[in-house]
Amino acid sequence: MKGNCISVKNVSKSFGDRKVVDNLSFTVGRGEVFGLLGHNGAGKSTTIDMILGLKAPDEGEATILGMDASRNRKKVFEKVGVQLQHTQYQSGITVEDACEEYGALYKEPADYGELLKQFGLAGLRKSTVSKLSGGERQKLSVVLALIGKPEVVFLDELTTGLDVVARREVWRTLKNLKERGLTIFLTTHYMEEAQALCDRLCIIKSGEKITEGTIEEVISNSGQSNLEEAYLHYMGFDETEF
Amino acid sequence: MRRFLKMYKVEQKLFLMSPDVIIFNLLMPLASFILISLIAGSKSAAQTGLTYLQSSYVALSTVGICCSAFMSIPISLVEYRSQGVLKRMYCSPCSPTWLLACDTIASGVMAAISTLILTVTAVVFFGYRMKGNIGLYILVWLLTMLSMFSIGLLIASLCRTTKSMNVVTSLVYFPMLLLSGATIPAEIFPKGLRMLAEVMPLGVGIKMLKTVSAGSSAGVLPEMAVLVAIAVVCSIISVKTFKWE
Repeated sequence: MKGNCISVKNVSKSFGDRKVVDNLSFTVGRGEVFGLLGHNGAGKSTTIDMILGLKAPDEGEATILGMDASRNRKKVFEKVGVQLQHTQYQSGITVEDACEEYGALYKEPADYGELLKQFGLAGLRKSTVSKLSGGERQKLSVVLALIGKPEVVFLDELTTGLDVVARREVWRTLKNLKERGLTIFLTTHYMEEAQALCDRLCIIKSGEKITEGTIEEVISNSGQSNLEEAYLHYMGFDETEF
Repeated sequence: MRRFLKMYKVEQKLFLMSPDVIIFNLLMPLASFILISLIAGSKSAAQTGLTYLQSSYVALSTVGICCSAFMSIPISLVEYRSQGVLKRMYCSPCSPTWLLACDTIASGVMAAISTLILTVTAVVFFGYRMKGNIGLYILVWLLTMLSMFSIGLLIASLCRTTKSMNVVTSLVYFPMLLLSGATIPAEIFPKGLRMLAEVMPLGVGIKMLKTVSAGSSAGVLPEMAVLVAIAVVCSIISVKTFKWE
């Protein structure tokens, strides 16, 4: 089934005097990998929070799978998996116990043993989460995002802080998921990551949309040769000023 | 229900493996009891009609409650909030209330285990026998726990950061532990301090438990009402002021 999976319409959000998201609109189709790019503090996580119903928009509306997540929380999260930035786990919890506990949140969870194997974490079942390396921990958070057999996953700066090898491993698994028809919404600071994974992009600056489209469109509309240059162009960065 | 039990099992395991819980909740009351009983066990504790052994058994049977209510519950909840565990749970078809319920039950179980170890030691090694009605004692003990837990949940709701929670729990936990008669027998306190102990919420529970353990029930009803009132008021405020983030 095609159609819109996520729809954000004229959404705005302010914290005090600061406008964090400003009249933002975009849609994400089913089975699409969609990247939301922007500088630190551009409003990426706030946008995700509004789609997930964690924060209410001041204006506009955001729906996911045709529903308002804040009103249909249970229904939405049976089908939506998340990996949030800065999430930590209970101190002392083991990989296995984290999977048990997060699996218990869903009516029909996936077989986590299978997921751990897929992500190369099968040997770490008994390790405490706090002793995992950064890459392993991020892979675990993807496992936990997938444990409810979701149709859509949100990955907020999944690979920030990972080394090159770990990042490539995460990419490989995400590409597998994409092939299986999963809709992926991700944010990242790495342009080569966006290029490797995303079907479409939306670039925001200080909460406002600068451009949206396929990678080719985003690059060609900027008149630059690659995505990194295009991104810098959209951000108004001029190297000759230095 | 099966899913809830799965989650509870994980949380209970985390409590059982936490070194703070083992030291303060399980070992400390036991060590205090053995010390007091060896030093002054058979001496009569003023005014109560109980020996120090009998009186300190009762007092120390509430230390587990005190640790769970004023340390385990607020610390785990405030940490879960600041670490984003509650937010992550919110993004699932299950409610984060489950996690709160699991932790509260797990804390209650720790308090019960603490009292059980103490009871076995007192009965088997020190020949302790309770004069009063054991059923009534358990009832009052549970009520004391309920009421103290509601204060702990209130702290968890009102403290937004780990830092403020640490300050508040220390301000509540240590006075409650040391001055309510839970660890240091209230009978050896000077008069002023004893009066303070009797108005502390935990002190109210301890005084009531002592009365019941001595086979009396004089004045227990109004004190029970006080504990119920604390439980109701604190629970309502903590539910109303609770934030996931």
